[in-house]
Amino acid sequence: MVFTSFNFLIFFPLVLALYWLTPARYRYITLLVASCYFYINIKPVFVFLILGISVIAWVLALLVSKTENEKKKKALFILNIAALLLPLFFFKYFGAINNTLAALLAENNLRWPLPEIRYLLPVGISFYTFMALGYAIDVYNEDIEPEKNPALVSVFISFFPLILSGPIERAGNMLPQFRKAQSPNYDMIVKGMRLILWGYFMKLVVADRLGIYVDSIYNHIPEHNGTSILFASILYPFQLYADLGGYSLIAIGCSNALGFNIVPNFNKPFFAPSMAEFWRRWHMSLITWLTDYVYTPLSFLFRKLKIWGIVIALLFTFLLSGIWHGASLAFVAWGLLQGIFLSIEALLNKKKAAFEKRHNLDRKSWYLTAGIIITFILFASSMVFSRAGSLDVALTAYRKIFTEPGKLFIGSPSTIIYFTCSLLILLLKDFIDEFYPEKFKMFEHQSSLVRIASVSMVIILILLIGVFDSSQFIYFQF
Amino acid sequence: MEEKDVHDKLETSFRKVFNNNSLAIERSMTANDIEKWDSLTHMLLISEIEDSFEIRFKLKELNKMKNVGDMIDMIITKL
Repeated sequence: MVFTSFNFLIFFPLVLALYWLTPARYRYITLLVASCYFYINIKPVFVFLILGISVIAWVLALLVSKTENEKKKKALFILNIAALLLPLFFFKYFGAINNTLAALLAENNLRWPLPEIRYLLPVGISFYTFMALGYAIDVYNEDIEPEKNPALVSVFISFFPLILSGPIERAGNMLPQFRKAQSPNYDMIVKGMRLILWGYFMKLVVADRLGIYVDSIYNHIPEHNGTSILFASILYPFQLYADLGGYSLIAIGCSNALGFNIVPNFNKPFFAPSMAEFWRRWHMSLITWLTDYVYTPLSFLFRKLKIWGIVIALLFTFLLSGIWHGASLAFVAWGLLQGIFLSIEALLNKKKAAFEKRHNLDRKSWYLTAGIIITFILFASSMVFSRAGSLDVALTAYRKIFTEPGKLFIGSPSTIIYFTCSLLILLLKDFIDEFYPEKFKMFEHQSSLVRIASVSMVIILILLIGVFDSSQFIYFQF
Repeated sequence: MEEKDVHDKLETSFRKVFNNNSLAIERSMTANDIEKWDSLTHMLLISEIEDSFEIRFKLKELNKMKNVGDMIDMIITKL
């Protein structure tokens, strides 16, 4: 079951009603059953994987916290991390490593005895594994107490709004909310419904309309000229933002309606004037997770190297982020590019700040605009690797962009008109939220007439322009 | 070393890392209150404090320092 399926439109109101009708102290059990049912509808057998990961996380965290001996404690912690990572490694990377080894050996006329192994990737495994890992690390670092109730650990790891693509939540934020009996809160439910509606607009109208065009180019790179590939490459970051951003808003909205506060995942990323700022606004739950559990320990380890220690930590963290996104050289290139962009910014940070101060550039709108445009160009350039999926295709795309100009591929004119209008609406809303947050309110306007008109307009746009026969969310593959 | 001395010496480290000679720190200050105090400059600050006070932090202790006041208290325990 996915958020854009008809089944979900029946499932969620039913769960919402059941949840609030359940006696407060048992509500987490309703959520656990609903989450298992939600996941069973995708692939029944993988529900055992989630429950297995939950049991491992629960048992080993308790053992770690009860162990006094530091060496034993550390050994148990490493065992916990390895056990939680094993399924992710097996399903996501084993096939790729096996195939690479077989190909390398075949080049030297050696036979690799294992046949090609292809497993279906359990949807959301990267996300719930990261949540379980975060719980294990926080308990080990004594940032949180271990949870004694296995059902509460299970519901945290399998919470259905977040299970497929995040936001990647932390046990420190979620467990107290599961433990404490919530009361129905009208404002939270309304807020949640608004987010869900805007999330559907972003996904069904913006992302999937853009997707029609981007797919038509990127799925047939050899047949298209450089101009069309360049145009699709400019559009792809917007498609991904609307796709994962839309998914995140639906996930956060559903959680709000159930009374839960969830961390945001995006914050108007295309108005960031630098790459460092961009990564504070894009896929925020993943980046804060990587910052806390990978970048900070690494930069701490290399702190005596001063700024170069930061550079090493940045490069490794984003390399890992690339490999997390996919077991291919294209994602390695994508991750390294982010690390390189951020490292250059970190190295130039002091000089840049002094330059801005000397010329009083901080508040100049042209300087801000230039920063926003350069940041977008850098990000969009790196996304060519991510969208292409393989290094060969990405390099072909780049070669064509620089050497094969031509007439822009139009395809269906209605598609271009629809995605242009819907993208402008999305960016206009982000622009207002970024620069005029107190003005031009739509969903939160004082007048109920404006609120009703805004909601109606979005519903009409979804029904008229939305793509209802589309595939899944992009991030389900990760 | 008195808390006042720790405060003053810490302020010098902040001024050096954030390149701002007029920066005045207070116990309640967090990363939100000081321009450019982010995950990149934080580790430069930690390293600068370690060198300046000739102390060593543990990774676990970093999470416990939520504001400047926590930092001062942590430094005092190590002197």
